[in-house]
Amino acid sequence: MSIHIHNISKTFGSFHALKNVDLEVNTGELVALLGPSGSGKTTLLRIIAGLEFADPGEGSIQFHGKEVTNHSAYERKAGFVFQNYALFNHMTVAENIAFGLKVMPRATRPEREDIDKTVAELLRRIALEGYGDRYPSQLSGGQKQRVALARALAVEPQVLLLDEPFGALDAKVRKTLRKWLRQFHDETKVTTLFVTHDQDEAFELADRVVVLHEGDIQQVGSPQQLRENPKNEFVADFLDCVMI
Amino acid sequence: MPAIIDLAPTHTARPRKATSDSLPARILIIGTAVGFMGLMFVLPLIIIFQEAFRKGWEGFAEAFDDRATTHAIWLTLKVAAITVPLNTLFGLAAAWCLSRFRFRGRRLLSSLIELPLWVSPVIAGMVYVLLFGAQGLFGPSLKEHGIKIIFALPGIVLSTIFVTFTFVARVLAPQMEAQGQAEEEAAMTLGANGWQMFWRVTLPKIKWGLLYGIILCNARSMGEFGAVSVVSGHIRNKTNTVPLHIEVLYNEYQFVPAFAVASVLALLALVTLILKTLTTTQRGAA
Amino acid sequence: MASPRHVLPGFRLSLGFTITYLSLLVLFPLSMLLWKATSGGWDHMISTLTQARVLASLKLSFGASFAAALVNAVFGLITAWALERYTFPGRRLLDAMVDLPFALPTAVAGIALVTLYAPNGWIGAWLAKHDIKAAYAPLGITIALAFVGFPFVVRTLQPVIADLSMDVEEAAACLGANRWQTLTRVVFPALLPSTLAGTTLAFGRAVGEYGSVVFISGNLPFKTEIAPLLITMRLEEYDYSGAATIGVVMLAASFLILLASNLLTQWSRKRTGRA
Repeated sequence: MSIHIHNISKTFGSFHALKNVDLEVNTGELVALLGPSGSGKTTLLRIIAGLEFADPGEGSIQFHGKEVTNHSAYERKAGFVFQNYALFNHMTVAENIAFGLKVMPRATRPEREDIDKTVAELLRRIALEGYGDRYPSQLSGGQKQRVALARALAVEPQVLLLDEPFGALDAKVRKTLRKWLRQFHDETKVTTLFVTHDQDEAFELADRVVVLHEGDIQQVGSPQQLRENPKNEFVADFLDCVMI
Repeated sequence: MPAIIDLAPTHTARPRKATSDSLPARILIIGTAVGFMGLMFVLPLIIIFQEAFRKGWEGFAEAFDDRATTHAIWLTLKVAAITVPLNTLFGLAAAWCLSRFRFRGRRLLSSLIELPLWVSPVIAGMVYVLLFGAQGLFGPSLKEHGIKIIFALPGIVLSTIFVTFTFVARVLAPQMEAQGQAEEEAAMTLGANGWQMFWRVTLPKIKWGLLYGIILCNARSMGEFGAVSVVSGHIRNKTNTVPLHIEVLYNEYQFVPAFAVASVLALLALVTLILKTLTTTQRGAA
Repeated sequence: MASPRHVLPGFRLSLGFTITYLSLLVLFPLSMLLWKATSGGWDHMISTLTQARVLASLKLSFGASFAAALVNAVFGLITAWALERYTFPGRRLLDAMVDLPFALPTAVAGIALVTLYAPNGWIGAWLAKHDIKAAYAPLGITIALAFVGFPFVVRTLQPVIADLSMDVEEAAACLGANRWQTLTRVVFPALLPSTLAGTTLAFGRAVGEYGSVVFISGNLPFKTEIAPLLITMRLEEYDYSGAATIGVVMLAASFLILLASNLLTQWSRKRTGRA
């Protein structure tokens, strides 16, 4: 599914988090939103998910050509993976993953057995078979992260949004999960956006990288384009390469 | 073992951490705290049970073999049964809008919700007398229609709602604020609608705090004295709640029955405190 | 469709219900107080408030509450410090007991206190030997008011003490301050605003207290009659505007006390850096 973001602004009090942002994401792309803290990247991701609303005005957001600017988060059903996982601590791993299926309207909700099957399949895919009955508090950070991913994927979202997906993990787990996510994306081709402040992560994973600074998009391009041809001093400085 | 202890026999005083107080100071401070609370809190509790069982178990049981007492207990249960659910509903709504949204006047609203805690219970009762009493604003028209609010159940319920208004909201709002809303947001992105999110995610998260809020609200509504005293009219077998009945018994020098009934409310208070301790531990562990 | 400004649902429903419930059951009834107090005109209000009996009762209520708040400030600070900084057997029990005045019905506390402090009671008898009269005297009223206000001081101070970072104390020690100097120059100044805030709340709670006081006070006009009791007397005499006038004064005091406590809490946040 493609995402069209047109002229989106967001202010918190007198702070301009986003200033007239335009962005196009094509179907099946894996895009990184890269920037230092306070650059507005998480705000942009949350606005796409419907977890934040842009300032009313001209701005619009379209999912595959369909206007969703005023849709609430539960109508948009973007798969969202939270920075600190936001797992439901009172539910088991299996219940967490099944949540999105269980809250579907009766007419479209899968049968119990089908839900169980989907959960088992997802557990296998995140390599956590046999962990279904555990509670989030019994898992490591990397395991929690994978459960959060599986939970978001269970409802087969057409777009996957990840907020600093590996931010709270140690370097080794980070590397493994990065590889895993890339591989997963190559298999499923779900349109994916993720927020990161780590340029290595962005360059290694993404098809295209969006560099943000102080609420403005500085440059959009493939890792190679950015590296070879940074558009301005900020991008060059942030990516730690020399401006030509 | 002695070898280890006697390594430095001349240097007896262990060095103390910079943030800890000397042993005598600690003993003095803990002793003062324990002494003060023993005198102020424990002794009154002991005297309640001591007086209640002054004439043994039989004397205690006899106190409840009395029509006025059983009527008072029924009335109090009725009042609590109406008050607690209403204030619980209110507490949930108030905590939800205070903890999940930022809007103009939020702090004012939060202060206003706390207000009943600082208003004298006598005033809480009086305002309803001014509204619905014989000379009150609606008094004449109520009389015309033969509706009785003051010196009757509705007045007792209203004034009890007033004084116990704050408790559920006061317990829940800070708890929900501290928990944050990431889990609710996750539920939304997974397609849950408002009610599904509330029942499946919010409620399980706050259940211990909610339980404590309800228990506290219940204890206060069963024990309210000042406000109810003003609106009830003290009609025996009609509008005397348990605390009012205790007053009547006490003033009639029926000390054993008075304390026997009081001991039941004291027990309820102790259960409330135990539940608070348990629920805060649960919350801490979660 | 208007832009949904809030992410989570239920804003209008919860806010609407909250405001309606609050207005109908608390704000509207309270506004009656003002209406009734002024219904007799200013002259009536002033003549009510200048009656010797009314003045005596207000003086007693505020005076005894002030004394009780001072007692609570001292013992509340000590208790909060002991509960937060030390471990000792029974600490959890003591911590739970602090809330007793919240949970115990005031009338139950009232008859228990008077039984203890009456001249033939456990403590009263001992006091009588030393010619001190507690029950049916201002001292008894102060004791009852200290009972109801105590948790407010402790519960206000506890989180502040818990958050007080120990490194400032360590820094003071490294700079050569002894423990007493550290406490008096570093710790107490940091705790002062919240001690005052808690004490103010205890004072505010005590001023309006009724149930735990009426049994121990003896209720002698001009001597041991508290203001809330006088309100009930006026109501029984059907002097509604007189009762409302005393009520308005007490309500105004509550507002001022709450305001003071809020300002003190803000001051405390500034001083301790608590968010």
